[in-house]
Amino acid sequence: MTSLTQNSPIIRVHQISRSFSSVKKTEGLKGALGLLLKPERQTHEALKKVSFEIESGAFVGLIGANGAGKTTLLKILSGLIPPTSGEAQVLGVNPFERPMEFRRSISLVMGQKAQLWWDLPAVDAFDLLRAIYSIPMKTYKERLGTLSTLLDVERLLTTQIRRLSLGERMKMELIGALLHWPKVIFLDEPTIGLDVLAAHKLREFLKEFNQREKATIILTSHNMDDIERLCSRVLILRSGEMIYDGKPAGLIKEDERRLRVRLMQNPTSEELSETTGIAVSCIERETAEEDVSEGGILFTAKQNQLVHVLQSLMSRYQVIDMGIQEQSLENVIQRFFEAGK
Amino acid sequence: MRLGWRWAALKNGLMDEAAYRTEFFIQILSSAAVPAAVQIVLWYALFKVGGNTEVAGWGYQELIHYTLVSTLFTQIRGGDHDFELQEMIRTGGLSNYLLRPASVIQFVYLRGVGAKLLIASMGLVLGSLVLAWLGMAPTRMPGAMLLAVLGNIIHYQISAALATTAFLWEEAYSVLMVKNMIVALLSGETIPLNMFPESLQWLWKATPFYLFVFGPTQYALGNWSNDEFFYQLGVAGIWIVAGWLMIRVSWGFGMKRYLSLGG
Repeated sequence: MTSLTQNSPIIRVHQISRSFSSVKKTEGLKGALGLLLKPERQTHEALKKVSFEIESGAFVGLIGANGAGKTTLLKILSGLIPPTSGEAQVLGVNPFERPMEFRRSISLVMGQKAQLWWDLPAVDAFDLLRAIYSIPMKTYKERLGTLSTLLDVERLLTTQIRRLSLGERMKMELIGALLHWPKVIFLDEPTIGLDVLAAHKLREFLKEFNQREKATIILTSHNMDDIERLCSRVLILRSGEMIYDGKPAGLIKEDERRLRVRLMQNPTSEELSETTGIAVSCIERETAEEDVSEGGILFTAKQNQLVHVLQSLMSRYQVIDMGIQEQSLENVIQRFFEAGK
Repeated sequence: MRLGWRWAALKNGLMDEAAYRTEFFIQILSSAAVPAAVQIVLWYALFKVGGNTEVAGWGYQELIHYTLVSTLFTQIRGGDHDFELQEMIRTGGLSNYLLRPASVIQFVYLRGVGAKLLIASMGLVLGSLVLAWLGMAPTRMPGAMLLAVLGNIIHYQISAALATTAFLWEEAYSVLMVKNMIVALLSGETIPLNMFPESLQWLWKATPFYLFVFGPTQYALGNWSNDEFFYQLGVAGIWIVAGWLMIRVSWGFGMKRYLSLGG
């Protein structure tokens, strides 16, 4: 591997795209027969000219709706698949070449895929990984002790993997992925299916590992708690395109608020816009227009506009109730995703 | 070559097998007892009921000996790891192994072959006893077993190369099924291969499958000379080199098409 200077990015991605081609399967017997006689191919663009750089030791969140291209990006960065076009470099090498030194320096954990051997106790699987990564016995024992204590699974090390709960298995997967002390860790939904306590424990552990070992971590998650608590930077993908790259706080506009009201009447969005002076694009309904008294209407406005909006509404309609919603990262991301639909 | 992880993979595969001991022994018993019983009934029907004294140069006693000894080598000829490889390619499970600093082909082989090596060592003892009981030279058993183990390697190499069809085709499973049918016919586990009609002898001679069961059995029973044995060891060596090349080419080609599905 080429040597990296201290301040050079550990991950460089330049204009990478990735498309997948597959046979289009239509339903029914006719479709199945058609597939045999004249298969029709379709191409799906999973990533579209994505570029970014990541510094060593960063903890980066990669978010996006299902099918946005997150896992494809992780697969490219870890070297499992090549990009269709563009260039990726991780630790100074093209990941798809997968040189041995590169493999020793990275780790990929997929929350939905077991990587350990189900019929063996975790400790036997870890011993095999020790041999694969040529970890000296003393170092191995120290690391296993540290990791199992941090994740609180010492008493489970001799239990068959398949007899563990989902959360316990995930913790074992993480230990297996970190035993070789990787410099770059790709985590694909590591808290999926975990209960609140297990997810919290895992988050604390990842935070500590990142800070203590200065490992670069890229995390994908649908759980915004994971992103908010761990990541100093987020990358948002929508339909294969990078639509945001920055601090999580940058997504939340400081002076922007959401006013939620329920009205007795059922005005259209255009009428509401005319009354309040808020653009139609900043007015959302929780339910369909005819159910307005059931759901609420959400107005996104600057803080100093709120009194005026409320007064205008009260002068023309009967207000059932009202409140100001806190802007959570989850809300903001949800709006990002919805805007792309 | 670094032995560390290879030895650990072998040991780990054995531990995996040991997790299901009863299943392991029942599998050996069923795969050995049923074909052997069928063959013995067939020989009985041909010779004792049909009244034949010789079939394609083989007498009743010789065929019974062939069946008993070949059953041992049939247990060693190959495992299920070729199916495991194609399944890993198809479902994306291969991704777990590609990022580890170890050869995936060697790793899957070593994890799967542990059980076969255990059977081979038990077979070595048992086979030597059977040969002594039959009045033959038990000293031939180690050589015969070596040939059977080399056959196991060749079998895996061919299977690993065939498994790469899964990179292109979701139903690659069927390719391995067809391979298994051909191996069952041409390895000598069903009948001695020199029973084939003269015009079809080339069929088994053109493939390495006879090295899996027929070859080791012939040597163990004293039907092959030592010179023939060493010649066949050389043939096995050539097939192993060819198998290694097949794997390099087919996996190099296949990896470019790997989609790493799932997750």
